[in-house]
Amino acid sequence: MATDLASLQRWMQECIQQPGECDEGMVTQARQIVKPSATLESEERLDIYRGMYLMRMQEALETDYPGLAKFLGPDEFFRLVSRYVDLHPSRSYTLNRLGDHLPVFLETISDIKKPEFCRELARLELLLTQVFDEAETPALTAEQIAAVPQDAWERVRLRPIAAFRLAAFDYPVSQYLGAVDEENAFPQIRRRKTWVAGYRRNYGVHRLDLTGPAFELLTLLVEGKALGDALTSVRTSQTRLFQWFREWVSEGLFRAVELEDGT
Amino acid sequence: MANNRWGYPDLGFGIGLRSVHYEHILANRPKIDWFEILSENYLDTGGRPLSILDQVAERYPVVLHGVSMSVGSIDPVNVDYLNKLKALGKRINARWISDHLCWTGVSGMNTHDLLPMPYTDESLRHTANRVRQIQEILERPIALENPSTYLEFSGSTWNESDFLVELAKQADCGILLDVNNVYVSSFNHGFSAEKYIDGIPADRVVQIHLAGHTHKGTHILDTHSDYVIDTVWNLYRYTYQRIGAVSTLLEWDASIPEFDIVHAEALKAKAHREAAAQPELEEVAAYGD
Repeated sequence: MATDLASLQRWMQECIQQPGECDEGMVTQARQIVKPSATLESEERLDIYRGMYLMRMQEALETDYPGLAKFLGPDEFFRLVSRYVDLHPSRSYTLNRLGDHLPVFLETISDIKKPEFCRELARLELLLTQVFDEAETPALTAEQIAAVPQDAWERVRLRPIAAFRLAAFDYPVSQYLGAVDEENAFPQIRRRKTWVAGYRRNYGVHRLDLTGPAFELLTLLVEGKALGDALTSVRTSQTRLFQWFREWVSEGLFRAVELEDGT
Repeated sequence: MANNRWGYPDLGFGIGLRSVHYEHILANRPKIDWFEILSENYLDTGGRPLSILDQVAERYPVVLHGVSMSVGSIDPVNVDYLNKLKALGKRINARWISDHLCWTGVSGMNTHDLLPMPYTDESLRHTANRVRQIQEILERPIALENPSTYLEFSGSTWNESDFLVELAKQADCGILLDVNNVYVSSFNHGFSAEKYIDGIPADRVVQIHLAGHTHKGTHILDTHSDYVIDTVWNLYRYTYQRIGAVSTLLEWDASIPEFDIVHAEALKAKAHREAAAQPELEEVAAYGD
């Protein structure tokens, strides 16, 4: 086997990333390429790197997907990590985006516990990592809101902060994460529609569970619809509407209020 | 008074900035000489880590220490990464930038491990070229750390210490001497840690690392998960006597205890340095042991 730098690096990386035990071919090559130590055979020394690779990947993905790791348990989560990084190895200088393909990957497998729930949970957890890393944009102040003339509100467009995401789910995944964080009891894992806003306030990542109509209204606003137009599409009471707005503004979901003329 | 050729100052005794200590540091503003950050944790994020770093950098000297420069890889250098690193360095007035003598991946992939280099003439030429290229992009010299390694290549024709020194000469870069890594690799590969340190020229050493490790019986893993062991403290004293006063950093990255414990461990380095500066006290300390 060639022992130039390029060949050695390709060989070693392939060994490290190959899941499972060292096979016979790998052992033979390791004995040609790697010196044994006083205490370890060549392949055992190589195995140290092989073992650490998957542990590191597991640790990184567990940081971004604590809910999924909790739901699957350590053994099944480790098996999932092993299969995932085999198909989606890191191609970045940072591990922070290693899990970006995990929700899509989960769509391709069904031999794990409650695969549909896992997919939805992973979608929410990915969304929260994106919120964590987004640029910081200051939220609307009370002064900015007070400056909007009463008769102009119908025509205003509300711009969300950068660290804001909306998503609808087929399972109670936000409640599940709440239970992992010991905020509430674990929900029944049954199919039901849920809606969540993920956002950052004071550099902390938060989830806001929404009703269907509130989600619909927020979606229209985020898409750039004027408030008056958005309200014609969403059926709700004025009291409820005021409650939502108070909550959304106090949570700092918006960064700007613009009139249709661009002011 | 700096002993290195670039005039990088002795910053004193620092620790790695870790998220578990953010609140303590901002609330208590501890009296600590300096911080080292893991560069990659502060790239591509506009969130809390960067905000904290800005506040820390206003009050303390900060040094960038990375794990993805992959100086020995056969892949092209990652210009995008280096430009971001350069920008981060400027943003926080980083005193210097360091990474490791290693490669982390090929074919566009990253194993996120500090993989060992074969120490050959070919590797030396290749790595020296890349380090020069990297320094041109960063517009400053970098310091390269001797890694902890768990295997050696049969084809190596250099020992690690000589390879690192020759690389530093050819690329005109600095050395971040990790005393714990010298110990770990000396155990794993059966060489003399003292001889390794004897071979390192003082004028290239910009910084020293200290850390705890995990002894697995057959080998030692560089886990940064514990207190520094006495043998490594002795090696640190030996290093001080050979190289002089150099910015010293205590790394603690797993099972991280509260800030005061990590800081106290870093300050032990100060006591060891003072003892090493007075050989008669060294002797008393040795009898006391």
